[in-house]
Amino acid sequence: MIVAHALGKSFAAAGGTRGAARVQAVVDVGFEAVDGEITGLLGANGAGKSTTLRMLATLLRPDTGQACIDGHDIVTDVLGARRQLGYMPHEAGIYPRLSARENVHYYARLSGLNGQDAVRRTGELVEQLGMAGFADRRTAGFSQGQKTKVALARALVHAPRTLMLDEPTNGLDVMATRGLREVLHSLAARGHCVLFSSHVMQEVAVLCDRVAIIADGRIAMDDTLPRLLARTGQPSLEDAFVVALGHDVSTGAAGAAGACT
Amino acid sequence: MVIIAFKEIVDNLRDRQTVFYALLFGPVLLPLLLGGSLAVSFKQLSIDFDEVTELAVAGIERAPSLMTFLAGRNVDAVPAPNDTDTIEAAVRDGDVPIVLQIDADYERALREGRPAGLTIHLDEADKASAKAARRVEALLGVWERTNDQLRLQHRGLDPTVFDSLDIVTNDVSSDGASGQLLASILPFLLIVSMVMGGFYLAVDTTAGERERHSLEPLLGLPVARHHIVLGKFGATLAFVALSGLLCAFSVWALFRFFPADLLGTRLRFDAPTVSAALLLAGPLMPFIAAVLIVISASTRSTKQAQTYLGLLMVVPMAPFFVLQFLDLEPSPWTMPWPMLSQYVLLERSVLGLPVPAWHAALSVGGTALAAALLLWLACTFYRRERILS
Repeated sequence: MIVAHALGKSFAAAGGTRGAARVQAVVDVGFEAVDGEITGLLGANGAGKSTTLRMLATLLRPDTGQACIDGHDIVTDVLGARRQLGYMPHEAGIYPRLSARENVHYYARLSGLNGQDAVRRTGELVEQLGMAGFADRRTAGFSQGQKTKVALARALVHAPRTLMLDEPTNGLDVMATRGLREVLHSLAARGHCVLFSSHVMQEVAVLCDRVAIIADGRIAMDDTLPRLLARTGQPSLEDAFVVALGHDVSTGAAGAAGACT
Repeated sequence: MVIIAFKEIVDNLRDRQTVFYALLFGPVLLPLLLGGSLAVSFKQLSIDFDEVTELAVAGIERAPSLMTFLAGRNVDAVPAPNDTDTIEAAVRDGDVPIVLQIDADYERALREGRPAGLTIHLDEADKASAKAARRVEALLGVWERTNDQLRLQHRGLDPTVFDSLDIVTNDVSSDGASGQLLASILPFLLIVSMVMGGFYLAVDTTAGERERHSLEPLLGLPVARHHIVLGKFGATLAFVALSGLLCAFSVWALFRFFPADLLGTRLRFDAPTVSAALLLAGPLMPFIAAVLIVISASTRSTKQAQTYLGLLMVVPMAPFFVLQFLDLEPSPWTMPWPMLSQYVLLERSVLGLPVPAWHAALSVGGTALAAALLLWLACTFYRRERILS
């Protein structure tokens, strides 16, 4: 379970001099992602999704606010929070000279599993994610879908209760996307908390139980999908998104939806 | 920590570039290039009077006693056409290294007590020709002195009357400048090959990891940052140590083929000396590994890190060149400095000079302290958020 409250984060502008105005990437982000559900963090490019996930993954220290992963504070109990969390960043970032199995095994060992358990757990994930056909090949030259599977297996290797994925369906073809959806659904069904960020409306609409809409570093709206549609009085998530951002559906739809295809 | 080190070693052993620099370039190619070219140039410069050579002599029949003298000193005369133009062309084209031309009235001049004419045709620009000429000149000098003495005695004079000075040159170093240069080659080769050996792994494990986007998920794991740094440090250290070890071995192997008389009496590259040198250079291994980790953690990309390689290579070379000009003696002021102290100590051990224990201790202490500081710096780099960007 993830509980975030009033998170804020600013960065020094790239190439800026000392004392220059800072870029406020996240201003006020607060939401909850509960166990057994898939929560979507929906926002346009540059809305603050990745920065929010990086803060929750303890890679960035928030300037303001606080957050907990299964009761572990992301600032004061960094290692505790990381133990509960499986994090798959925007880029798969797998080692090209290692095989898929070695990639997963390495993370298993680093997460504290002993040699035997690491081998067993890696085998389980290879089976579960349908990686048997390419598990023992070096990952250089893998397709995007295969890379995503390896990265997902790595994020799941220490059996975390909470899973966070940053735009996981980017670059995946239809079948790979459907496969990923099934995996996430089954994880949620087994009681895991799944948070994933996306700018793809259809993806969020199909997959998520709950949606947090983020714009300009703030959570504009946060609710279950049916309640979100009811609150905005719109028939589709896309229209609800536009309304949540404070635009008029008839005039603002083109512009806003253009940023969030 | 061990897991990270082990993974990085396996990962990088699969990388041809890293393996080439760690196992081939520093340890094998560099000593061969440097030591080999030095050996060849020493061979060209030094004259082996025991070596049997042929000497083209024009007018060979005019000086039979000289030919006998030369033959007794391993120089076999072979007849050459007695025509100055032909001789010059032959030497210039490199058909023969040199030609000794004997004047037509050589025999008569000797008989009448006049200076007898000999001409050496050589090509000074050609190393082999110049070397052959020096050998013949040296032998002719001996022959001349023998003849001088015979002439004087013939006229009832003591030949020593003409020796007003008795100059003795006593070179106590027995190694000379070339020995000093050779002695500094061992630390140079060791340090350069250790730096090269660890460099690509260090760059790959931080700057490369960032470029492949694999650093972000790694840093998100429940592993303390200093464990990650130490793991990467361990892997780099293993490659640095392996490079150093292989380099020491190939230096030892190379100098076994080196002509012993060229090394002088004190210069030693035998197994105990090379082992001692490796032991003295040992503290440099963690230091070099730490320097490499800091550089790769502070650069944004492998390209940027590689740019630093050029600058970094100056560091091990600097003491090499400085020590050629300055004769630095071990002192409490020079010993705590990493690189510099190892240069001085290694040079001394190769030259067979004593290395006091407290000098070695200061060198080890200073280097270890520097390595620890650098590791601490690397850890702070890894704790910064900027490491991801």
